[in-house]
Amino acid sequence: MEKKDLKVNINPMPTLTWNFLKLNGADVNETIDFNGRGKSTLHNIPSKVVVSSGSCEECGECDTAFYEDIHRMDTGLGKEADGFFEENCDGILHVRSKKNARITEPLCISYSFEDRDSNAVRQEIIAEEGSTLTVIMDQTSGRKDSGFFAVQTKLKACRNAEIRFVGISLLGDGFLHLDGIAALAEEGARIELIQMELGSAKSYVGVNVDLAGRGSSFDGNAAFLRLNDQMLDMNYYIGHRGKRSESSLNVKGALRDRAVKNFRGIIDLKHGAKGAKGNEQEETLLLSEGVHNKTLPVILCDEDDVEGSHGATIGRLSREMLFYMQSRGFSEHEAEVLMAKGQLNFVRDLIGDEKSIGRIQHYTEEVFGDDR
Amino acid sequence: MEKERTEVNDIDRSIYDFKDSEEDFYRVKEGLTPAIVDQISKEKHDPEWMRQFRQKSLEIYEKLRVPDWGPDISGLNMDDIVTYVRPNTKMSAKWEEVPEDIRNTFERLGIPQAERESLAGVGAQYDSELVYHNVKDEVSKTGVVYTDMESALTGEYEQMVKDHFMKLVPPSDHKFAALHGAVWSGGSFVYVPPGVKLDIPLQSYFRLNAAGAGQFEHTLIIVSEGADLHFIEGCSAPKYNVANLHAGCVELYVGKNARLRYSTIENWSKNMYNLNTKRAICEEGASIEWVSGSFGSHVSYLYPSSILKGDDSHAEFTGITFAGRGQNLDTGAKMFHMGKNTSSFINTKSISKDGGISTYRSSVTVMPGAENAKASVSCASLMLDDISRSDTIPAMDIRTDKADIGHEAKIGRISDDAVFYLMSRGISEEEAKAMIVSGFADPVSKELPLEYAVEMNNLIRLEMKGAIG
Repeated sequence: MEKKDLKVNINPMPTLTWNFLKLNGADVNETIDFNGRGKSTLHNIPSKVVVSSGSCEECGECDTAFYEDIHRMDTGLGKEADGFFEENCDGILHVRSKKNARITEPLCISYSFEDRDSNAVRQEIIAEEGSTLTVIMDQTSGRKDSGFFAVQTKLKACRNAEIRFVGISLLGDGFLHLDGIAALAEEGARIELIQMELGSAKSYVGVNVDLAGRGSSFDGNAAFLRLNDQMLDMNYYIGHRGKRSESSLNVKGALRDRAVKNFRGIIDLKHGAKGAKGNEQEETLLLSEGVHNKTLPVILCDEDDVEGSHGATIGRLSREMLFYMQSRGFSEHEAEVLMAKGQLNFVRDLIGDEKSIGRIQHYTEEVFGDDR
Repeated sequence: MEKERTEVNDIDRSIYDFKDSEEDFYRVKEGLTPAIVDQISKEKHDPEWMRQFRQKSLEIYEKLRVPDWGPDISGLNMDDIVTYVRPNTKMSAKWEEVPEDIRNTFERLGIPQAERESLAGVGAQYDSELVYHNVKDEVSKTGVVYTDMESALTGEYEQMVKDHFMKLVPPSDHKFAALHGAVWSGGSFVYVPPGVKLDIPLQSYFRLNAAGAGQFEHTLIIVSEGADLHFIEGCSAPKYNVANLHAGCVELYVGKNARLRYSTIENWSKNMYNLNTKRAICEEGASIEWVSGSFGSHVSYLYPSSILKGDDSHAEFTGITFAGRGQNLDTGAKMFHMGKNTSSFINTKSISKDGGISTYRSSVTVMPGAENAKASVSCASLMLDDISRSDTIPAMDIRTDKADIGHEAKIGRISDDAVFYLMSRGISEEEAKAMIVSGFADPVSKELPLEYAVEMNNLIRLEMKGAIG
């Protein structure tokens, strides 16, 4: 075991605002007992997918031209956090679907931990031209476990390719969790991201999307649940460089007890991205007096022939909805639980993988069952 | 046939861009030192507590950093700024007694005419000091006090000033609040007694004539329980090739069940750094309404703040920003919900053209215990060409569950579909685009007093010859 200092500014904003809001980034100051423990497994590796791992010298995959541009990309966690991965990860897991391979079955990557495990991993996923690839990554441990897990994922959808990446976090209530994603879409490519942020004491999620190609698109859906003293810090940056590129981001979730959530969502419509469209929506349900929610939805616009929009709804269960549900025999508490589950299920049901859905359902039943 | 080009004209500044001679004016030296601050204090016959307050503010100024967010202000060098310029005249209550060239300036800006026609009282500041201040007799008889800050500070309202001056915006708030505390001069003091409702507005007009000067007026308004006031503020300056600075401060105290509407048309010249601070605090059941048009300045940092301290208090901010060539206008609002059952509403429009940069920046903070807070933020930005820029940076910080917060924002250009629809109804393309831009600004212009709405419409008037964007 080795002590490692994680003293970094995470989830930095590309453009700053008032410092009193404490949203320009998150300062992390933790010392981690780093032991590299934890188990990773891959299931359902289709025949037209190349998988390699190990140190960069061994696998040789890094050297192929596919990876050149995503190696240069930062994740949404920012340069400082990405430096931590470079220093502490021995190798990179590479997954690459071959040209024009239409793969329907998801490839599954599972990271499972026991109490006091700590680890950091890097993975790079590429869909070659015209191919489609779905990857489901889940991160699990016992509900009461503590530990540390940091995962860096770089995605690249080549010309007219499509990547569907699903991240499910069901880590124990004592975990510190870092989840950094960088995604690059070439011409006509599509990247879909589905995230369920359910566990951990503290989570930092940073996503950096580069819609570089003409007609490229990003579709992001994220759900979160924070209870007790859990904290979630999210940063989504979507840069539109390609003409007619389109993005959509939906973030939904609930906060209860003394939970804290920060959300930054940035749509950057860059000069030259004619015809680009970006939209983001956030809905946060507040269920207790002691919760703390911060939201910073940003549109940066350097082009006139574009459309950018964002909306946010933050608050308690509407009085009309509560009245309706109470008139149907639900108590206020039951109504709130039902609505919180509704927020999660909206995103959960997009996953389309029964096993994963079942695992999430089991987790939420267990969490809300604690109330009984 | 050659296609005529349609464009939204830049604001016609010729009516503001005239200069008077500064002969015989009193000026302190450029820069900022304890000696200069003492000199200003002496010239203004400050009480000792104010002199000390200025020196303390200067100490704070030296310690604070310039903002690391927002537009670049590296072109502003305080060593080049003259912080106090006094015209060679005393304040008067009669226009005839104001020196002719200064009077002509205000005549050209239409201030005396507006006073005759539609205002309850007028203050006119020229560089660092007020040159004219008058309030109608019938207004004075109601007990309303509308005077210059210097008179208030040394007269019977000294204690009231002392109790409120820079209590809402302390010098430690930010670097330019500290600067203001050190070198402030001019501005207005308004006190509206309990229950008095003024049907017609009071107005202050600020004119900065001197090249390389700063204007640091302080506006302190106290609206007592159940009272009602509409206060209008206008500002302009001729353009020089050196930087000018405006770092005014507005503090508004709105008492129980009182209402205050504060309207501003800011039209500083495009060499101006406008680093202004405005803040209101509302007691129980009180209401503050900000109406703000930002058209001038090279760089603006302007975010009127409302502190909803009392239960059932309410704040509204309606604003429009027009950023043209060479302008970087960073504007918006801040709302702080502290009392129960408070509500706030922000509605802003931004237009960027000809390389102008417009940034909408806001924050809505709901503190613990602010039960049943409601806030709504709506901001829309229109890009008129592809060399301009428009950013939207709204933040929400919610610390209670018993709140309902809504936010929406849109950025785009004039919709081709809307133009097509209007053209299908027999309207020319030029007219259609003009109508759409006018309609875009309409929610703000209709909140302005008539003469300001006309001025604003002139400012964004469309010369419909050609194609927008």
